[in-house]
Amino acid sequence: MTEKNASSRHLVEIKQLKTYLQSANETVKAVDDVTFNIEKGETFCLVGESGSGKSILALSIIQLLPAKISHHPSGSILFDWRKQSGLGLGVNSQQKTTSEKVNMLDLKENQLCDIRGSRIAMIFQEPMTSLNPVDSVGEQIMEALLLHHPEMSDESARDRALIAMQEVQIKDAETRFDNYPHELSGGQRQRIMIAMALACEPDLLIADEPTTALDVTVQAEVLKLMRELQERKGMSILFITHDFGVVSQIAHRVGVMKQGKLIEFGETKEVLKNPQHPYSKKLLAAVPENLPKREKIKDPSSEKPLVSVKDLDVFFPIRKGIFQRVVDHVRAVDGVTVDINKGKIIALVGESGSGKTTLGRAILQLQKPTAGSVKIDDHELVGLSVDELKPWRKKMQISFQDPQSSLNPRLLIAKTITEPMKVHNIGNSDEERLELAAEVMEAVQLERDFLWRYPHEFSGGQRQRIGLARALALNPEFIVCDEITSALDVSVQAEVLQLLQEIKAQRDLTLLFITHNIAVVEYLSDETIVMKAGKVVEQGYTDDVCGNPQNSYTKELIEAVPRLKL
Amino acid sequence: MDNVKHRSSGFLRRVLKHTFSGWGAKIGLMWVGILVIAAVFAPFLANSMPLLVSLNGEISAPVFRYLSVEDIVVLIAFFVLILLFLSPLRHSIKSLLLFFLIIIVGSTIVSKQFVTVQQNVVYSDFREDIKATNYDWVVMPPIPYAPEDYLRDSQATPLEAPLENSEYTHWMGTEENGGDVLSRMIHASRIALGIGFIATGIAMVIGVILGGLMGYFSGIVDMLGMRLVEIFESIPTLFLLLTFVAFFGRSIYIMMVIIGLTSWSGYARYIRAEFLRLRKMDFVQATIASGLPLRSILFRHMLPNGIAPLLVGLSFGVASAILAEAMLSFLGLGLVGAPSWGQMLNQAVQSSTFNWWMAVYPGGAIFLTVFAYNLMGEALRDAIDPQLAKKAGVVG
Repeated sequence: MTEKNASSRHLVEIKQLKTYLQSANETVKAVDDVTFNIEKGETFCLVGESGSGKSILALSIIQLLPAKISHHPSGSILFDWRKQSGLGLGVNSQQKTTSEKVNMLDLKENQLCDIRGSRIAMIFQEPMTSLNPVDSVGEQIMEALLLHHPEMSDESARDRALIAMQEVQIKDAETRFDNYPHELSGGQRQRIMIAMALACEPDLLIADEPTTALDVTVQAEVLKLMRELQERKGMSILFITHDFGVVSQIAHRVGVMKQGKLIEFGETKEVLKNPQHPYSKKLLAAVPENLPKREKIKDPSSEKPLVSVKDLDVFFPIRKGIFQRVVDHVRAVDGVTVDINKGKIIALVGESGSGKTTLGRAILQLQKPTAGSVKIDDHELVGLSVDELKPWRKKMQISFQDPQSSLNPRLLIAKTITEPMKVHNIGNSDEERLELAAEVMEAVQLERDFLWRYPHEFSGGQRQRIGLARALALNPEFIVCDEITSALDVSVQAEVLQLLQEIKAQRDLTLLFITHNIAVVEYLSDETIVMKAGKVVEQGYTDDVCGNPQNSYTKELIEAVPRLKL
Repeated sequence: MDNVKHRSSGFLRRVLKHTFSGWGAKIGLMWVGILVIAAVFAPFLANSMPLLVSLNGEISAPVFRYLSVEDIVVLIAFFVLILLFLSPLRHSIKSLLLFFLIIIVGSTIVSKQFVTVQQNVVYSDFREDIKATNYDWVVMPPIPYAPEDYLRDSQATPLEAPLENSEYTHWMGTEENGGDVLSRMIHASRIALGIGFIATGIAMVIGVILGGLMGYFSGIVDMLGMRLVEIFESIPTLFLLLTFVAFFGRSIYIMMVIIGLTSWSGYARYIRAEFLRLRKMDFVQATIASGLPLRSILFRHMLPNGIAPLLVGLSFGVASAILAEAMLSFLGLGLVGAPSWGQMLNQAVQSSTFNWWMAVYPGGAIFLTVFAYNLMGEALRDAIDPQLAKKAGVVG
């Protein structure tokens, strides 16, 4: 009897599931012998680094992988299929429900179509691309409803869609109903996605990194919404993420994946507090909050500005009409005054669109400022020509966010690193420059031989190191690090952050570290600058800004950060 | 540094390998290869004079006496290219190109000095000579008829269907004047190839430079450049060619230059669009931040990353240049003396009776050549496409 009860609590039972992906000439074991259950009304989090197979596992459950490239050598996915007969939806409906355990792997395509959307719904990471841009958002919710309830009239579908939109706390649902996706913000789009997924009252919601593309304050709101909806509706959520902070916010139970295997799972608190598997331990130790704190420099007497920015404006004109008249400006950077002190790590934080990247580029004169002044060692940079800037170029360098696009894919690493040296007359011969390049490679903990490779042969973390090596090759005094760890997995991020500190100490560098990740800021930086809508709202020592924020926006930002609650 | 030079063409080699892994591109390449061989060795493949004769133990090669400057330059260029390709020394593409150009110009000047132009060659003399003189042995070309050899001496009727005459074998028959169709086809392949490569080469150089500057500087430069592109796109090439033919006479070189000068706008658009995208990419920003000179940013960092769609356009461009020449010749505005495929088609249409062999062979050759270039263009596009390139290991 107890056996049966346990089994009826399970919404999904996955047993020894294997999903192999077939590419041209190799088989990738994307999911390798995974067994776990999702209970009714719980949130199960799958956490793992990129390539660990967590998304493939989710797609296997809903059977969305193309049969051409994937197959399941073994395993079963038992789903408790609740079939409704009778009319209507919601509280007042008169319907009988019967439920039946089905193996998702054995179902036919038309049965799967009945389950998808109505019983198992899915939301994706990118709210930009998962909505159809030519239909209004309300129609898209209605379409999902009518597909699974053809007996519904248009009016009642519209009413249901409006209710769904109100449930995800979209203000003015009536007017928003006729909006097109581009008229909504990222957070609102993700809400619409959730409304669409929930319209048919599914039993299981699969959420694949739903908050990763969102700003931290928006993420906090969406997570709160999902928690509330789950409690109210009693559905189960399979939540996929790479962020342990999010896990601790939302999950009842958590599973850690590595290379297709579910290496550990259990109650969230247990796993986060007391991980058993060495890999989970390593992952948790790499979370910036858990990294050993470094000694922060907090000595006003030694402060001497290396770079000073005064009243800097960067405006982008908005042109309208047939004559392309400038009607207004986007004020990306709006009257910013900042001193960057020598030998410090300064963090520049802000949400997307706050102008932090533009400010970084404007300091390096990669983006022409509209007005204001940027001085390095008391030399004015604004207004200099390309040739006049050249001697200053080697003093200040930049390292970029996207490891895919930051290196020229057609050039050997050796060429990428030595060419700027040649232009700035560092080293007397090609051989000497190659030797210097090899030394820089060693400084970023890469092998000398890597010089003779092309960028595509490296992983994301290695590419970020090469990007740093390129910046270091010119012996700069000042480096702008533009979100250099944002695209990296948490363990790689920890390595790069530690490397950055070592290099900074060895070479007496000054770093401007642009990021949106407050945890990284708290770990790494001496001073922090907070930007919002092109303006600096707060600056000071990191401990003061993060520990005791004065500005209301900073307070909101810091509170929204998903913390590991142990 | 040896290591660098050996691997410096990495991307191109990978793309080419991938391009020619499919059967379509292989067939295309094979057909173009046959055309190249035919074009280079045309005087040795189809000619009325013997390749080698031995008279009383003395061996001589009459065919060499009748080679034109053009024949010699094409031969030298072909062998130099083969040598450069096979040689273990790897230099930058720039120095190789320069070396190749010097060789071509040099050999043209030298052969101009030494080659005496043979005028009014009477081809029937060779046949009579062979019959009259008591040679030990004679090696004739595989097709023993020159394109302008109208066989006045041997045939009663000039027009013959393929393999009609048992005494003289004409694999593809003869045209109205008595010239061997296969021989004319072989010699005409030179025009087809030359016009394709040189016209698109000119177009590409202009397109890359103007498009690159437009894309990199954008703003006012881009605005003016695009207007120039639009002006050139509105020039009707065919009428311009007709006018030039009327004023300056018929010259294959003028045709090449005009087709090249009027068709660069498409390439400029491709490169401009690519450069507009690349300009904001991080690695280009990094080169600017490193203070690299403009020449290096444009041609070393941006061009190799933006050339992919151009290469595809290039192979389609070659095909359309061949078609343009064929069309002109078909309209009767091509070259007078030398045969070309379009002109042969024109002959077929103008003759009083329809002779299928005069239309099918040149028409088929034009079709196959354009088809071959299109096949290679398609394969190249697939190889360069990022989705497929990912599978091939080019990206990530």
